[in-house]
Amino acid sequence: MESARLSALGRDTRANRLIILLLSVGFAALLAAAATAYYVQRQNEADAQLVAHTLAVEANLGAFASATERMETARRGLILTQNPQFAAIMDEAEARSLSQLSDLEALISDNAEQRARVAKLREHLTAYRHHYRSTLGLRGADRETLIAGFANDRGVLEVRASRAVVEAMLTDELSLLREREARQQGTQRLFTLSLIATAILVLVVAAATLLLVRRNLVDLRLSRAELRRLNEGLEELVDARTGELKRANAEIQRFAYIVSHDLRSPLVNVMGFTAELETARKAIAGYLERGDAEGWQAPDAATRLAIEEDLPESIGFIRTSTQKMDRLINAILNLSRQGRRTLAPERLELGGIVGGIVDSLQHRIAETGTEVTVEELPVVVNDRVAVEQILSNLVENALKYLQPGRAGLIRVTGGTDLGRAWVSVIDNGRGIEPRDHERVFDLFRRSGVQDQQGEGIGLAHARALAYRLGGNIEIQSELGVGSTFRLILPLVWQSGVEDA
Amino acid sequence: MPDQKPVNIVMIEDDEGHARLIEKNIRRAGISNTIHHFLDGTSALEFLYDAADGPVRNGPALVLLDLNLPDMSGTDILAKLKADDSSLRRTPVVVLTTTDDKVEIQRCYDLGCNVYITKPVNYENFADAIRQLGLFLSVIQVPDPDPA
Repeated sequence: MESARLSALGRDTRANRLIILLLSVGFAALLAAAATAYYVQRQNEADAQLVAHTLAVEANLGAFASATERMETARRGLILTQNPQFAAIMDEAEARSLSQLSDLEALISDNAEQRARVAKLREHLTAYRHHYRSTLGLRGADRETLIAGFANDRGVLEVRASRAVVEAMLTDELSLLREREARQQGTQRLFTLSLIATAILVLVVAAATLLLVRRNLVDLRLSRAELRRLNEGLEELVDARTGELKRANAEIQRFAYIVSHDLRSPLVNVMGFTAELETARKAIAGYLERGDAEGWQAPDAATRLAIEEDLPESIGFIRTSTQKMDRLINAILNLSRQGRRTLAPERLELGGIVGGIVDSLQHRIAETGTEVTVEELPVVVNDRVAVEQILSNLVENALKYLQPGRAGLIRVTGGTDLGRAWVSVIDNGRGIEPRDHERVFDLFRRSGVQDQQGEGIGLAHARALAYRLGGNIEIQSELGVGSTFRLILPLVWQSGVEDA
Repeated sequence: MPDQKPVNIVMIEDDEGHARLIEKNIRRAGISNTIHHFLDGTSALEFLYDAADGPVRNGPALVLLDLNLPDMSGTDILAKLKADDSSLRRTPVVVLTTTDDKVEIQRCYDLGCNVYITKPVNYENFADAIRQLGLFLSVIQVPDPDPA
């Protein structure tokens, strides 16, 4: 019986592998998501630091620029008013510009371009400061000239140049800021995207896993149901087959019975009329004798020979053959009758049974000088008559087929093994050739020298009975050394197991 | 019995050889009663119940019955002969057959068979059995059939 569902179970391995794979992918995706988050977070921090740096540079630049402008304002005020207060402001602004410039220098140390610009700023500042110092003491006409040409004054020019440099630097920093902000945004977008992708991946994996697991469970349930159905079907099938076998067996039994029975009928005639022939021959023979005695004319020698020798010989052969045939037919009849007998299981102490058999054979045992030992034997539940017949046959055989010139030694031992009992009848008799080991169980077949009475029925019958009792008979034998016949029976045989 | 009539022997046996052997041995035992031989059950029953010279109308009888007949089972004939409403239920029936099955023998006695003889292949035993039956027949009183 093939079942599509059961063979589909083979798919499970593949499905399971797929589930494990999907789960691995899901966990890998989660790990990747965590790694991405970490990376993005670090990137974000770095970006934020850079942005803060840029903002600091910008602030510094602004402070520097305002300090410079304040310096210039103070200088102009000083030139116009000659008020010494301006000189103090000037000094203060100058100090601030210088300190701011130093700070700036430190801040932009990583940027070569800006460093060059800061150097320029320092040049301009130095030139400016120099110019301021040189024009500080100008009075009268010189001062007039300075004021008149103020548009082209060195200080004004320096401040203007410095302002341009600051502008350039600011522009640069601004573009840097934009760039860094853009990068930060990009990182964040990447982070979001990777999060979404991971979420989708996890969802897909979870859904697929769920689906696969569910399908697997459904498959499992279906195949379990299928298995149960098949199992039930199997039992029915076994029952049906057993029934068929029993019917076939009963048919054979009936056949054997009818055949053997009907064969007897003609045999009765053969035997009967052979006897009639014999009677008739005796009548003729008597007539001949009377003729001899009374001096009649005797028939010719050939007729006399036929009547006195040929006829009795033929009749003798017919008789022995019919008798043999009758024994065979009776054997078959008995076998089939045994097969029809209802078996009644009961508790049997095999030790006691074998003891009884040995006792019943005591005469023959003493006659042959055989030593028989019966060891402890198991207890079984089975049909008494059948078991007795089997064991009796085995013991009788052991006693029957002794090795000539060797004192017989028969040992009956037994035990239980895996719910089955066994009894071994071990002899030191003449043994059986390996090629005959199975043959001795065949009906009408015998092994070795045919010097013993028998029809070759005992073992066939014994094994058939053993089969019927749910057991078996096994043989181990070596020619000239001895044989071991082992009867195996269930510990408890239930009637009805075999009877149809 | 005031009116002594000869006992008719009715032999129902499908095997001619067996019939001949039985007859021979009966004759050897010195029994000369008429033997009516039938090869099947139907004609035997017809004779037993309906024939003008049959046992119902014409004196006592003894039935030798084989169990294996071509048209019916000998036990059916036995059952019919020994049925409560049968006019021949007192007629002795000797079952002579090859079956030595205990169950079968018991069944025949249960049905009312008077003697059961197994036909042995050993001819001497068989001849002995028949001859003894013959002697037995010579001493028994066979009842008349029930007029009812």
